[in-house]
Amino acid sequence: MQKVILFPQSCKGMEDCGICAFVCPRSLFVASEEMNESGYLPPLPPDEEKCTACGNCMIYCPDFAIAVEGGAVDGSEE
Amino acid sequence: MSEKTHPLRKYMRPQVKKTTFCPGCGAGIITQALLRAIDELGLTMDDFVFVSGIGCSAWIPSPLLNADTLHTTHGRPIAYASGVKMGLPDKHVVVVSGDGDLSAIGGNHLIHAARRNIDMTVILVNNGIYGMTGGQTAPTTPYGLTTITSPYGNAEQEFDISALVVAAGGSYVARWTTYHPRQMTKSIKKAIQKKGFAMIEAITQCPMQFGRVSKQGSAVNMLKNYKQNGIRIEKAAKMDPSELQGKIVEGVFVDCDKPELISSVAALQRRTGGKE
Ligand SMILES: Cc1ncc(C[n+]2csc(CCOP(=O)(O)OP(=O)(O)O)c2C)c(N)n1
Ligand code: SF4
Ligand code: SF4
Ligand code: SF4
Ligand SMILES: [Mg+2]
Repeated sequence: MQKVILFPQSCKGMEDCGICAFVCPRSLFVASEEMNESGYLPPLPPDEEKCTACGNCMIYCPDFAIAVEGGAVDGSEE
Repeated sequence: MSEKTHPLRKYMRPQVKKTTFCPGCGAGIITQALLRAIDELGLTMDDFVFVSGIGCSAWIPSPLLNADTLHTTHGRPIAYASGVKMGLPDKHVVVVSGDGDLSAIGGNHLIHAARRNIDMTVILVNNGIYGMTGGQTAPTTPYGLTTITSPYGNAEQEFDISALVVAAGGSYVARWTTYHPRQMTKSIKKAIQKKGFAMIEAITQCPMQFGRVSKQGSAVNMLKNYKQNGIRIEKAAKMDPSELQGKIVEGVFVDCDKPELISSVAALQRRTGGKE
């Protein structure tokens, strides 16, 4: 089952934002080379095999560009 | 890439596809923390009225939220919200606005609403600067910081807004940075459920204005700073103030119950035979 769903059109770009890359404990986010409609570079879909569905990328993404199925929304990162 | 939508989209106006914020702005993290709180409480948008003033942060309720929203005048959202709560006491009234809006031009509304203990939730989005107007010094700007209106460094001391609202009489006061969005959601849930004046001071990155002038740079660098310097109140309480230089004290500062204004007025009306 797909754990991480991206909405690349909502993303404001890994160059100026890049918060998903910072908060992913598995460092699974790298930028696409394809611009979205707004000219930003969204992330590529992360490697599902390595993803733990921790939910961080969803909870920290300021632009609602990531959803994690079964994401541990109330898990604690500290 | 799929017909699926973000699970919190159902609380947002369908015609609004994007936030109004700059890339990496923390306002979106706070929006999500708020919507997740509403979702986890099992409430609907009909249970709420959202009120904001003027500023970047004031753009959280409108245009984003699919609810009754009032986008009011600069500094006055708490005054409008007080009227809304008086007229519609069964609604959860939530103010979302900036540090400049709520603690500078609107500072007196903030402290007096806390003193009166009127039942509302204030999410004070504190980015330490006037973001929308171009990065001027705010009452929350750190001492010494260079901004466009303090080119040689800010000579003023900054407000400790949470301490101010605790002193003024708030029933629930908590502070979290955007590095702790889960804790922020938990506190927003508590604040919504609190019968009385509740405030969450959300410390957040404004990479566009604050990040540039402070040389803290990008959104990620500012989050790293929150990660390194955030410290829980329980630990901070045991430390010497000199050790807390540059630290951001986070946690719940007050959580208490005392007579709330709307209920007190209703009781008064009953006692004096006035109309409710
Ligand atoms: C009466 C009045 N004075 C000044 C302004 C200009 N103004 C608009 S937003 C703003 C400051 C906003 O700062 P803050 O509340 O911190 O919001 P931010 O943009 O940082 O989120 C000011 C001074 C105004 N709109 N109305
Ligand atoms: S956190 Fe969200 S908006 Fe930011 S780069 Fe990642 S997907 Fe894009
Ligand atoms: S859910 Fe966690 S592990 Fe999976 S991609 Fe997101 S941040 Fe990385
Ligand atoms: S100016 Fe700052 S506060 Fe305003 S949207 Fe941009 S990053 Fe956010
Ligand atoms: Mg501000």
